[in-house]
Amino acid sequence: MAVDTVAAPALVDDRALSRHPKAGIVYIVLGGLLVLLALTKLGGLTTTVEIDKTLSDASWAAPTSTVVLILGLAAAALGAWMIVGLPQRRYKIAGAAAVAATVLALLFWAYSEEGTVFRAESILAGALFLSMPYIFGALSGVVCERSGVINIGIEGQFLMGAFTGVLVANITGSVYAGMLGAMIAGSLSTMLLALLATKYQVNQVVVGVILNLLALGFTSFMYDQLKKADGFNTAFSVPTITWGPLADIPVLGPVLFQQKIFVYVGLVMVAVVWFLLYRTRWGLRTRAVGEHPAAADSMGVNVNRLRYWNVVAAGLLAGFGGAWFTLGNSLAFNKNMTAGLGFVALAVMIVGRWNPLGVLAGALIFGFTTQIARDLSAAGSSVPGEFLQMLPYAVTLVVVAGLIGKAKAPAADGVPYNPGDK
Amino acid sequence: MSTETQAPAPEQPEPAETAEAKPGFVTTFGRYLTEANSVMVTIYSLVLAFLIGAILLIVSDEHVRSTYTYFFARPQDALTASWTLVRDSYLALFEGAILNFNTLAAFQAGDAEFGNVLRPLSETLTYATPLIFTGLAVGLAFRAGLFNIGAQGQLIFGMMGALIIGFSLDLPIWLHLPLAIIAGAAAGGLLGAVPGVLKATTGAHEVISSIMLNNIAALFLVWALGTTFLHSETKTDLVSKPVDDSAILPTLLSSLNPSLRVNLALLIGFAVAVLVWWLLSKSTFGFRIRAVGFNEHAASTAGMRIGSTYTTTMAAAGALAGLGGAALALGVSSGGINDGTAADYGFSGITVALLGRANPGGIVAAALLFGALKAGSLSAQPDVPVDISTLLQATIVLFIAAPALVKAILHLRTPRGGLVALEAKGW
Repeated sequence: MAVDTVAAPALVDDRALSRHPKAGIVYIVLGGLLVLLALTKLGGLTTTVEIDKTLSDASWAAPTSTVVLILGLAAAALGAWMIVGLPQRRYKIAGAAAVAATVLALLFWAYSEEGTVFRAESILAGALFLSMPYIFGALSGVVCERSGVINIGIEGQFLMGAFTGVLVANITGSVYAGMLGAMIAGSLSTMLLALLATKYQVNQVVVGVILNLLALGFTSFMYDQLKKADGFNTAFSVPTITWGPLADIPVLGPVLFQQKIFVYVGLVMVAVVWFLLYRTRWGLRTRAVGEHPAAADSMGVNVNRLRYWNVVAAGLLAGFGGAWFTLGNSLAFNKNMTAGLGFVALAVMIVGRWNPLGVLAGALIFGFTTQIARDLSAAGSSVPGEFLQMLPYAVTLVVVAGLIGKAKAPAADGVPYNPGDK
Repeated sequence: MSTETQAPAPEQPEPAETAEAKPGFVTTFGRYLTEANSVMVTIYSLVLAFLIGAILLIVSDEHVRSTYTYFFARPQDALTASWTLVRDSYLALFEGAILNFNTLAAFQAGDAEFGNVLRPLSETLTYATPLIFTGLAVGLAFRAGLFNIGAQGQLIFGMMGALIIGFSLDLPIWLHLPLAIIAGAAAGGLLGAVPGVLKATTGAHEVISSIMLNNIAALFLVWALGTTFLHSETKTDLVSKPVDDSAILPTLLSSLNPSLRVNLALLIGFAVAVLVWWLLSKSTFGFRIRAVGFNEHAASTAGMRIGSTYTTTMAAAGALAGLGGAALALGVSSGGINDGTAADYGFSGITVALLGRANPGGIVAAALLFGALKAGSLSAQPDVPVDISTLLQATIVLFIAAPALVKAILHLRTPRGGLVALEAKGW
């Protein structure tokens, strides 16, 4: 089984598009479309941006067509520059700038409708908060997959965490005990994955999907059973932490210094997991086990034991992410309330290229997308709410399709290791 | 899923008929029972799953839990309460799915028609029908090494495709019904092809892309139901227009009793299962699917195009799930579909395919079992939580997917061919 991990020839042509001058054409087309949009449809519209809600004069109304025109020209110019002769090593920056310009232009367009105001503070603060489940889920995925175990079951661990979080909080009366309970529940469900993946060498993708169904069935079943009795599923809320004077800084204050504990734990965990993975002996061993278990084994690492405990520990993160859905949002548990976000977290992990810092960036992008969708939907945008809700899923699809060929998974990811197999 | 054996031996180890000393039937049979072959693993998985279900029923029931508080003083209370609860729950599932003894007694006494006795079975077959299609959709993809979690979205698209043809055209039944069914298959196939194309061209893993398409399809349905094109002209809630009479799948047994809902789609399901069996085992396309699923590198070396196999397999799988959608939209929900019509048929298709080990025959059997679970749990609610069917399904296939676990729990012997497990590829 372990034999076919050795550098399989690429069956699918995965030449990275964005490293190619052709990408320039894409940006020229995008920019051109924006220019066309600005000239034909956006005349007379204005976009209002409110930077600080306490200062009323800090809002700014811009003529939409002019801004979109400028951004579109910028994107097209970057594309043209890439074709004409920008050095290849600058492609990444140029491409990112062109994409950013396009996204910004689309935002200006989206917020040009009557009654919509781009409230920078609340949108950015909301985006950071909404990126948390992605951060926890994807970090959990990183820890598992860096050690060579595919964890498709993040969705299920979210559900277990969300359910147990509320349940334990109700039983003990403490929201923090609920968080702890959620972490343990997440960890117990990854323990099953770890056991099956290491000891019983079961296919991890299959088991992950089954574990999701199991978690869905289990939590829904328990939800119905416990609903019969009172006091097992009352919503608990987590206090918002305000950092004294820091919270009064315009924009930065509300975004960074007036958040719930989940945000701070999430940001700290990004740093912690990064440090552990790249600066400690444990991290080196974990990465070795994920890339070349046989080599790690010959150096004296117990591959399956390390994988087992890593996956169990990763469950703590996913379980805590699950608590975000209920305790973090002050909601009671509901059947299937995670709505596929565990899979979006997997996409975030891929976008972040199995690196905690990449995960942070990816999660912020997805959190921002989700927040924009919610905000526009609440403001009564003319785009149907269902299409706005599709946005995170659609972005995942595009991003996974566009990136996975380039993003390289750990070499032994998903391959059971049997020490006697060599 | 390449039904991967760990040693080059036949998949189904023969019970020791060929052994030298010709052991007696009891010995052979006993040895067969204690061996982790695929038949026994399936049976033991079912037993273990129902045991776990029983434990959860006991633990989560408030009344029974309270009897355990004084277990050491009067253990018989707790044990009786547990036994009663488990027996009643599973009996309720059985009566809702197979045969209701009260109705049977009433029929024998002459108080009920024979049709009433058949009602639980008809419900089981009705719920099994879409599962046959979605199970085949997942199972076919499994054979190519693809994990199609997207059956849910494909079924939703199939529902919409069949519905649109079903109400918008004015044709005679012999043309209208087939056309509507084909439209369902085409719509499902279209959505199913997307993860295949993405995997072939960019390498995006089909699990993630098909899950995203599931969510997108579900939201798209909600939006589409609200448009004037699809929305019912007479009802205010989010329901579609009804399908024309000429596009409705005829029921099979309603002459006995109008409440018997099982319809022609069941027979189509059986026929399609045979077709898929033929496709997989007798056709070139099926050979290509199995070759790619077994070893894509070897298949590629042999000159098969991997990318196009992925695309066509996923499109075919999507078409199968789309047929399931058509079965719903033109069958039990021909009066109009809503956002709950698709239920969890697509996701259950995964468990059906796993339990059926991606063999068409096994899939039909698994669909009947899970159809029975669904019919039973729906009729037994709210006394028994309705999600017990999901829970049991997931537990069953967890054991099916991990034969080594079943073997370890029950101390079974390894069969001669090694353990048969299910495989899907990673990133």
